[in-house]
Amino acid sequence: MFNLPTTNIGGQELFVLEFGDIVNYFSPYTAVLFVFALLFTALAIVSRPERQVDIAFGGDAYYAKEVDPNLLRFQRFMAIACGLATLGAMVSGDVFNFTLFASMVGITNIGIVAAYRNRHVLNAAFQYGIVAMLATVPLFGGAAIVLASTGTLSMWELFTDGVAVPLIAKAFLVLGVMGEGMAPFYVAKAEITRAQGAPFILMVHVSSLLLFLRVIEIVISM
Amino acid sequence: MIEYLLFATFVGLLFHGIHRKVIARAQGRPGPPIWQEILHVLKFSFKETWIPKTASQTLFVAVVFVAIGIWGAALYLLLSGGSLLLLFGIYLIHKIVEHGMGLSSGSPYGKFGAIRSVISAASELPLLATVVAIYFFTHSLSIADIAAYQQVHGPLLVIAFPAAAAMYLVILSKMHYGPFSIIEAKEIVSGNMTEHFGVWRAGLEVGYALKTYVLLYAFVLLFIGQLPLALTLLLMLLILVSLSFVCAVTPMLSPYDTVTIQTLVTGALVVYIIVLGVVMG
Repeated sequence: MFNLPTTNIGGQELFVLEFGDIVNYFSPYTAVLFVFALLFTALAIVSRPERQVDIAFGGDAYYAKEVDPNLLRFQRFMAIACGLATLGAMVSGDVFNFTLFASMVGITNIGIVAAYRNRHVLNAAFQYGIVAMLATVPLFGGAAIVLASTGTLSMWELFTDGVAVPLIAKAFLVLGVMGEGMAPFYVAKAEITRAQGAPFILMVHVSSLLLFLRVIEIVISM
Repeated sequence: MIEYLLFATFVGLLFHGIHRKVIARAQGRPGPPIWQEILHVLKFSFKETWIPKTASQTLFVAVVFVAIGIWGAALYLLLSGGSLLLLFGIYLIHKIVEHGMGLSSGSPYGKFGAIRSVISAASELPLLATVVAIYFFTHSLSIADIAAYQQVHGPLLVIAFPAAAAMYLVILSKMHYGPFSIIEAKEIVSGNMTEHFGVWRAGLEVGYALKTYVLLYAFVLLFIGQLPLALTLLLMLLILVSLSFVCAVTPMLSPYDTVTIQTLVTGALVVYIIVLGVVMG
């Protein structure tokens, strides 16, 4: 019933998941991205955070920080939410759904570190939050231009040869996703890594990289 | 496939040994024997191993298996002629491995290495630009299609030289002891690998050997074409030796300089792609 028009980019579809007129799809490419997202979400679920070792300057002493159980629970919850949003974005067959999942990833990324009581981390989370919020303008703007110029948001239609998507819409989509945490905007995130909870902090980067990989497939296919 | 995986691991480790030897000779030192990295892996495999008490234990171990898994999958992808975009994806997931490796131990040196790996994320941009430039010519991201294109039109190394140069920089970014090796710099002990020792280090070395083999093989396949195995290995060796010379004569850059250079190269390639777009319609 469904035939993915761009088999030379991500491969042929392996499985489709219909939600009314929204048809998510698994091609070899999106399936692998989905598995990566699932793997790191599972790691966030089963792993306990590390105890960071800090050096006490002015002496040869060092100490290991304790893990706050309340912080752990909240970080894990946000990391799982981030993983679910990433999973949705990986197989989405609709541009608007993709942008929604991408913005949800941005929100949950801030949530993962927002409860950590460290001035540098909170400053970084604040700056990253501003960049991520600003990035939603080109992100949703890109989707809006796609809809206005083609009359559809379905990737099954947009990937066909007969539909021409304006270059500016593609550029906006890429810019929007880059704002969610890719180079060069990731500099706002570097200090986030100070926060404890490696399995959860890792989800911040996994989600951004996977979103970027997915948007590249989308804009090349359109 | 298993035997090819073992072969690629062996060749990758041998390449690492040759890399160290060439760097040493270029710097006027005798250097270790070329099979030193193979001996390292064997030695680490039988050393006493444990997980640091402060580590996130599951993640600490999982990253080792993910490293081997993704580069094993990348090798399969190249051999089966799969999507180049997927290879790009695996390269990006390797960044997560580097990052997770450093953060999971709790060590401050590992953490510094992990932060540097975030900063060095700019090394992915030249690879993305390379992928887009290749697509301009071949209109396909299937590795099999790209190899077939080169059989008809000649090597992309000639047709799309700037893209090949950017890919060369990508491989250089991932070489040990190179100008971009900031995540394992000695001023932070061994950076993100500091706390991974014993069998975990052996596993990582296997993953890294596969990575070197895959990246060099990908360069030959994408820019020269499908060749007999012996000739492919010879070309991979030549590329490796040239990379070793660059590593030998170039000091390690500061983290922000690595980002600047990689971003500039990406910018140059974007200009090239725009010109291609205008010229080729």
